[in-house]
Amino acid sequence: GQEFQFGSCRVEGVVLQELWAAFRAVKDVVQAQDNITGVRLLRKEVLQNVSDAESCYLSQALLKFYLDTVFKNYHGKAAEFRILKSFSTLANNFIAITSRLRPSQENEMFSISESARRRFLLFQREFKQLDIEAALTKAFGEVDILLTWMEKFYQ
Amino acid sequence: MKNILQWSPPEGLQGAEVTYTVRYFIYGQKKWLSKSECRNILRTYCNLSAETSDYEHQYYARVKAVWGTNCSKGAQTGRFYPFLETRIGPPEVALTTDKKSISIVLTAPEKWKKDPEESSISMQQIYSNLKYHVSIYNAKANKTWSQCVTNQMLVLSWLEPDTLYCVHVASFVPGPPRLAQPSEKQCVSTLKDPASALK
Repeated sequence: GQEFQFGSCRVEGVVLQELWAAFRAVKDVVQAQDNITGVRLLRKEVLQNVSDAESCYLSQALLKFYLDTVFKNYHGKAAEFRILKSFSTLANNFIAITSRLRPSQENEMFSISESARRRFLLFQREFKQLDIEAALTKAFGEVDILLTWMEKFYQ
Repeated sequence: MKNILQWSPPEGLQGAEVTYTVRYFIYGQKKWLSKSECRNILRTYCNLSAETSDYEHQYYARVKAVWGTNCSKGAQTGRFYPFLETRIGPPEVALTTDKKSISIVLTAPEKWKKDPEESSISMQQIYSNLKYHVSIYNAKANKTWSQCVTNQMLVLSWLEPDTLYCVHVASFVPGPPRLAQPSEKQCVSTLKDPASALK
């Protein structure tokens, strides 16, 4: 079947179509709540030209952040907007992916994880500059950008 | 990636002399931008293909209506993401026949370009996982079957000689559902088989 290949990290058993369908169902509702259109968290500098080697680190960092910060704190909003079903589909799939993402420390050069970390910090810094509610809404509204990037590693 | 913004006249003003002004915004940037060809226009559409040609960006558009001395609030679109929302055009399809086979050569559609002189960008370069859904109809047996292919050359073998076959092809990209426009139906006949003619 199809799998993610983030460099040396492989993740099987995830149907990307399901994630797309889940986000598509809530895209308009969520993005309409984001009034700070002058800020894009997942900017090109974060996701463009990511090497295979960096991709495992970066995907793990981003997905973990989405789970530990975005999904964890957006649950109330998701209930308020009645989008819990799609919200849960996305969260559960992110859990499934991160649980199998294991960047191998031994043979990966330090510089790779460092450059991946710099990309993630760009994203995180932008997130922290916003009011938390606005940041959560914006991050969730950018899941289509995240999925588009992840799809490049889906075979 | 030909992106046309369309809108309807304000309620109750169909037929009145209403002019419109369009502006667009690149998500993550700071200013609303205007397009001179879509300022104070009477028509209800504006071609924003050139302005939205970077398909990795996301965009908003806004339209204001002016009628006499009245000026409307801006009507704004949702966040538009060309990479996900574009409709993929059909490939070019070239057919050559033999007695019992038909060779199909597919050429990926090209990205919209403002100036015909510009170099072309194949949608294959944008969507590396671009695939083709090939539908084949056997006119004699009144049967249709289809195949999904990734490469651009396909040979249909074990066909019946001296039979009309019709083919149409749609491009598609796995991932989020995207609209696709199939190619025009093309029909060819397989050649006669001299051996069967002798019997």
